[in-house]
Amino acid sequence: MLGSKLLPWDYGVRNLFRRPSRSALTFGGLTIVVLLVLVVVGFIRGLEKSLAATGNPNVVLVYSLSSAADIENSSIPGSTASLLSASVDGVRRGHGVEYISPELYLGTRITTATVDEPGMGLVRGVTTNAPLVRDRVQIVEGFWPQAGEVLVGRLAHSKLGVQSDDLAVGSEISFDGKTWKVSGRFTAAGSAFESEVWAPLADLQTTLKRQDLSLVAVGMESPQQVADVDMFCRERVDLELKAVAESAYYAALQKHYKPVRMLGWVVVALVAGSGIFAGLNTMYGAVVGRVRELATLQAMGYRRRAILLTLVQEATLLACAAALIACVLGLLLVDGAAVRFTMGAFMLRVDSVGISVACTVAALLGVVGAIPPAAKAMRLPVVEAIKAI
Amino acid sequence: MSLVDVLNVTKEYANGEETIRPLDGVSLSIDEGDYLSLMGASGSGKSTLLNLIAGIDQATSGEINVAGTEITKLSRGKLADWRAAHIGYVFQTHNLIPVLTAYENVELPLLLLPMSAAERRKRVEIAMEAVDLTSRASHYPRQMSGGQEQRVGIARAIVANPTVVVADEPTGSLDDETTEQILQLLSRVNDELGMTLLMVTHDADAGKRAKRQIRLERGRLMENGNETTSTHLRTA
Repeated sequence: MLGSKLLPWDYGVRNLFRRPSRSALTFGGLTIVVLLVLVVVGFIRGLEKSLAATGNPNVVLVYSLSSAADIENSSIPGSTASLLSASVDGVRRGHGVEYISPELYLGTRITTATVDEPGMGLVRGVTTNAPLVRDRVQIVEGFWPQAGEVLVGRLAHSKLGVQSDDLAVGSEISFDGKTWKVSGRFTAAGSAFESEVWAPLADLQTTLKRQDLSLVAVGMESPQQVADVDMFCRERVDLELKAVAESAYYAALQKHYKPVRMLGWVVVALVAGSGIFAGLNTMYGAVVGRVRELATLQAMGYRRRAILLTLVQEATLLACAAALIACVLGLLLVDGAAVRFTMGAFMLRVDSVGISVACTVAALLGVVGAIPPAAKAMRLPVVEAIKAI
Repeated sequence: MSLVDVLNVTKEYANGEETIRPLDGVSLSIDEGDYLSLMGASGSGKSTLLNLIAGIDQATSGEINVAGTEITKLSRGKLADWRAAHIGYVFQTHNLIPVLTAYENVELPLLLLPMSAAERRKRVEIAMEAVDLTSRASHYPRQMSGGQEQRVGIARAIVANPTVVVADEPTGSLDDETTEQILQLLSRVNDELGMTLLMVTHDADAGKRAKRQIRLERGRLMENGNETTSTHLRTA
């Protein structure tokens, strides 16, 4: 019976076009609010995905005990990789090669050919074993670097604050007193590696006049065997090494960024809240101009609930249309946009979670924005409202 | 028993610290098929009485029975359902819904009643024909004259075949020629369709078109200048 006592669907839809400029302004405001929500959620999701995608539970990172969680500050003997190879069982092996990647990792100022001001970049000295351990790394353009060459991640330019073309294959970059030629580009499934510059380990050590390593990444047969590496580090107290599963390392970093993510959700709530107030203001204006009409419907026999539903329908329709446009704009403009942060760079993600949050916010804007003004109009006695101007 | 029985009804409302009493113990009976005009000066309570009978206002005390239902005891929701089935309301300012066509405006009350789409269409067509506006069915209110709008308003009021049609100053915003057309139409609604009609007007000429004329003075019902004692019209 309720269905038969509702106002026609067309009534609500046509009311949206009754005051086109007002509806257009509201629509624009709601679109901006939902787009802002998408940007913030995209930021949170991008950060989460970047850190989550980086950690592999089968890979264990061995680095200096004294460096806490900062691998850039880690310095371990250059012989660590061969010691691990000789002492630890369960290291993954393929085609006669052990999955052990000695690496030198540092943050340094990098200059590109077209930009005078150097940008702070992340450089990783690697051997050809690195792609075995970092199995999501794929060279998408060019070749593995030889001496004097570097391989750049697809977001390295964002981290440096330069254009993508500045790191094109064949271009040159300078850091630590040496000029390097870009031999290729790589992707790493959205992980933090994508914002790095990879150079041949030996070449980098020579340039930096260093013989040590920052870390050794070891690919194990299974996550359970990570404990064997940990045991080795505990036994060789003289080496002052620490072993942490790569997934645990980045999970700890995620915790480090928790306040940032929380702040992001607070911003989502604030943006949504301001949108609701904007919606309320608009709906008050819209309802005030229709007091007599709403009273006429009541005099005819339409219940307050039916009229309230129609007003909510109008506002929700507008908000949902705004959400649709905002999602399209988000996918076109926001999704994939690179953002720099201390650990590198990551891409904003407009994924199913972001779209769900945006649609929920839009629905809330519609419902919460419509109910108070509608309820206020309904409270007015019919006999008074029916003669309202 | 009459179709409408108003028994000892008082209506009070506060205006600041002052209590206004537009109706003071009024009683009135209206038979089925009556055409009754309710006249009086501004503020005499005529619209208040009409709104109480139409179920869009609540009496402070007293009893109103319409077609066997004591509407003063109905809850707000039940009263809305009752209005849908029993009352057709003609407004002074037409009060058509601007985003709906003439046809859709007339159809609106029928959406509240249990009937098929075919039955609804048939009833709307009959009502539009009764007010001679079939050719304007697809027009929006802004595309019609004041007189045409009021005719759509009358079609909307009669389409559900209500127990009582109430008209509050139905010619109040119209010119003389259109007023005459509307009054003729209301007479036809009463004569040809047999509908019970209660019209509030401040226009004595318009009031004389009704079969019975009642005046409200200082909260009391009068007929021919005296407080009436007729069986159809009582005051407490």
